[in-house]
Parts: sequence; structure tokens; C-alpha cells
Amino acid sequence: MREKRVNIFCTIVAILVMLFLIAPLVVIVIASFTPTAVVVFPPKGFSLKWYENIFSSSTHFMEGLANSLKIGLLATALDILLGVTAALSVCRHDFKGKNVLLNYFTSPMYVPSVAFAFVLLQVYSQIGGIPGAVRIFIGHFIIILPYIVRNTVSVLHVFNWTLEDAATSLGANPVQVFFKITIPVAKPGILAGALLAFLYSFDEVALSSLLSTPKFITLPIRIMNYMELTFDPTLAAISTFLIAGSLVLILLMDKFVGLDMFVK
Amino acid sequence: MRKKQAFLLALPAVLALTVFFLAPMLYILIKTLATNGLSDFVRFFTDPFYLDILWTTVRVSLVSTLVSLLLGYPTAYYMARTQSRMKKVMMVIILFPFLVSAVVRSYGWMVILGKNGLLNQFLLGLGLVQKPLSILNTETAVIIGMIHLLIPYMILSLVGVLQSIDPNVEYAAYSLGANPMETFCKVIFPLSLPGIISGCVMVFTMSMTSYVTPKLLGGSKFRMMATMVVQEINVSFDWGAASAISYILLAVILLIQVLVVLSTAGYMKRLGGGKNA
Repeated sequence: MREKRVNIFCTIVAILVMLFLIAPLVVIVIASFTPTAVVVFPPKGFSLKWYENIFSSSTHFMEGLANSLKIGLLATALDILLGVTAALSVCRHDFKGKNVLLNYFTSPMYVPSVAFAFVLLQVYSQIGGIPGAVRIFIGHFIIILPYIVRNTVSVLHVFNWTLEDAATSLGANPVQVFFKITIPVAKPGILAGALLAFLYSFDEVALSSLLSTPKFITLPIRIMNYMELTFDPTLAAISTFLIAGSLVLILLMDKFVGLDMFVK
Repeated sequence: MRKKQAFLLALPAVLALTVFFLAPMLYILIKTLATNGLSDFVRFFTDPFYLDILWTTVRVSLVSTLVSLLLGYPTAYYMARTQSRMKKVMMVIILFPFLVSAVVRSYGWMVILGKNGLLNQFLLGLGLVQKPLSILNTETAVIIGMIHLLIPYMILSLVGVLQSIDPNVEYAAYSLGANPMETFCKVIFPLSLPGIISGCVMVFTMSMTSYVTPKLLGGSKFRMMATMVVQEINVSFDWGAASAISYILLAVILLIQVLVVLSTAGYMKRLGGGKNA
């Protein structure tokens, strides 16, 4: 009987937490369709004019989106190469200092991004003349590397390495073993890591705001700059746009990897 | 041969991290110490203005962590035990804001908590308050935003641990006459401690270093360590102070990590020892 009361309590808290998590997102989506500049509930009518704004050149949102995608995709692609080889090195072989090496690979996670950003800013200003895209790219590809390493390691950790030997003894060459055995096994980890890494880069603010140049500004910084000048539902429209993007990603993730990948 | 292979596999990442991460971090630390000595650090720890910012940062992080734990634990417990399809739905709801940018989520709270915001429209409309509450641009708003941002991390790390506790262990406790409180304190809580620790550490450190939430929801007069670094760089042009704050923040985070590794090592040993005995 009393057990039941515990369960009711947990259920109620769980539902309230879910409402708390979802509320701001629902508000944003509804706000993006209101015709008035100040968001009121219930909305007075329906309008798509704020969506027109996000595509107009004066907001620079589309330019920012292109910049963010470029940095995020390039940094993630490079880090898949670096991160997967790094994860293989600590998982496939047993050697002294293995844990030190793994900690080194994940160390950027423990450094506040604002501290790392400031260090890079000082180095860049000493060297001089580095284009904005490169300044941000270097910061991002370092700071997202741990996500790919950790997620790949968590899958390879339980991998039965004798499978590789079996493939070799059946006549596969090392390249075949790598692409037909090792990579397919590690794929869920690599995908989950790559998704988290890409999103981290795409949403990153601290590094980008300190390192961007007037010529190269990423989307989150554009949105924050816009917010300081005008507080109208154009912000809700661009936010809804991003929320929709996340929804697509999460559904793809569920289909290809399964959401349990995120429960550690 | 195998050793050589491991070395070659590790090499690209090691090189990249050393050149673009470790070397700059050490170089700037040495340069700061060489040019200004410890004066910027001394200034930080003697000026009440800076100490107050450190205290605000710790306070906000502690409150956010505690509330996340208190709300996250029952939620995670429900998710770990339920058989219903609700679990999948909840998983999506938890991961979903987790994948939406902090800027977007803070914006949502600005619309809700602002002076002409939805909460005030609602309260005024019902006549519960006479004039609009000012929640936006206060510490409360920052804490709300922070919990919203970080509670998914807490829940995910708790669900993992709670799922691995066999429900029969609880039934055993009940059948031996324990009430729910005793069962929780003596059975479930100790077994879930690793998840509690990892969740709390994650939420606390992320909150300590957060930049977007305090900047957008705290307003211009509210300062935390990370927003202060940017302010010193862009507004006061005091790079010495910015350096000191950056490295102090880094030191705090590393200290927490070291303490956790040391304390969980001891705890794991005791758990393991118990199993073998």
C-alpha cells in the first residue's frame, strides 16, 4: 500500500518535470506564429511574417546558419578521424599509461570553454591575421573531441577483439578487418558521439563569441546580438526552426542508434 | 609490433591536442605569471567584488544541483521502474531540450518570465498580483534556466544506475519489514550513489562554467565567473583579471574532478570488498 504511494509521488514529480522541460519550447513555437510584437496568450490571430524575417538578409541568420554548419560539419568530420583512431589505440591494446592517455584525449571536457577561448584569443592576437573561420574552427575541433572519443570507447570497451583475429585467420586483410568488423561494431558509439559533438559545436557560444570576427559570425551569436537590439517574435521563428531541426535529429538517432545510447 | 600500432593510432589526436590545446594553455599561464606575477590572483582573492562573484557562482551552482537532484531522482526512479510506453515519450522529452541550444531555451524563459511575459500576464489576469513580478534578470531566473538546462544530465545518469538495481532487492527489503523510507535510505540510495555523484558533479561543473544562461537570464548586473571573464575582456579590457578568473575557474573544476576520483575510488573499493567477502 505504502509502496503504491511512493510510486504515485514519483509519477507526479516525473510528469511535472516533463511539463517544466517542455513548457519553454511549446511557448516558443506558439509565439513564432503570433501576429503581435509582444507575445500574448491566447495569440491574437496567426501570422508567418516572423518567418519571412529570418530569411531576410538584414538579420544575417541564414549567413550565420551557413557558418555554423560549415564549422560544425568540418570539426565533426576531422574529429571522427582523430577520435576513432584515438579510441582504438586505448581499447585494442593493453599498455602502461593507457588511462593517462585516455584522460588526455578527454581533457578538453574539463576545461571551461571560456577559459580555453581566452587562451586562444591571446595566442591569436600575438600571431595576428588569422581568419575568423580558422580561429573558431580550432577551438571547436578541440573542445568536441572528447565526445567522440568517449562514446566510441564505451562501445569498443565491450568489443570481443578475437573477432578481428577470426577475420584475419579467414583470410581478411587488415583493411577489410577494419571496415567490415571494427567499424560496424563501433558505429553506434561513433554516431552518438558525432551527433553530440556536432550539436555542441553548432550551439557553442562562449568560444564563438570571443573568437569571432565581424566577417565570420556563427548563428547562436547572431541570435544573441539580435536579442540585444530587438526583442520580437523573429527570435521565436528562428528558434522554432532550430527546434524542428533537433526533432528531426532525435528521430533519426532513435531509428539508427536507439536512445538508450544516452543512458550511461 | 602491437605497441607500435597503438602508438601510431594515438599519434594524430595526441599531436592535435598538444599543439592546439595543451601548449597554448601552458604558454599563456606561464606568460601571465611571468609578466604580472601573482598580482592578478592576489587581487581576485582580496577584492570583495571578485569574491562575491565567486560566491554567487558557487551558490547558483549548488542550488541548481540540489534542486536537479531532488526533482530528478523521483523522475529517474519512475523511468527506471515503469513498464509503460510513457518511458519512451519521457526519454524523447528529456533528450529533446538537451539537443536544443541554450540560447533558444533561455529565450523561451525570457518570454515566460519577462515583465510583459506570460507568467505575469497570467498572474495579473487572475488578479493574484497587483503589479508585474520582476523575475527576469534576477538570480531566480538564472537558477530556473540552469535547472532546465542541466536536469536532463542528472536524470540520464540516475536512470542508468537505477535501472541496474534489481527490483527484487527492494521487494526483499519490504518483505523483511522495511518501510519505504527505510528501503530508500538503506537499500536504494546507497546502491544509486555512483549515479548521484556523477550526476551532481556533471550538473555542478557545467553550472559553474555556464555562460549563456547567466548572460541572458541574469541581465547586465548579474555576474558569474564565465560572464565576468568575457566582461573583463570586452568591456574593461582588463586581460590580467580575465586570465586570473579563467585559471581560478579551471582550478576549481580540476579540484572537483580530483576529489571525485579519490572519493569514488574509495567507495568502489568498499563496494567491491563487500562483494568478495
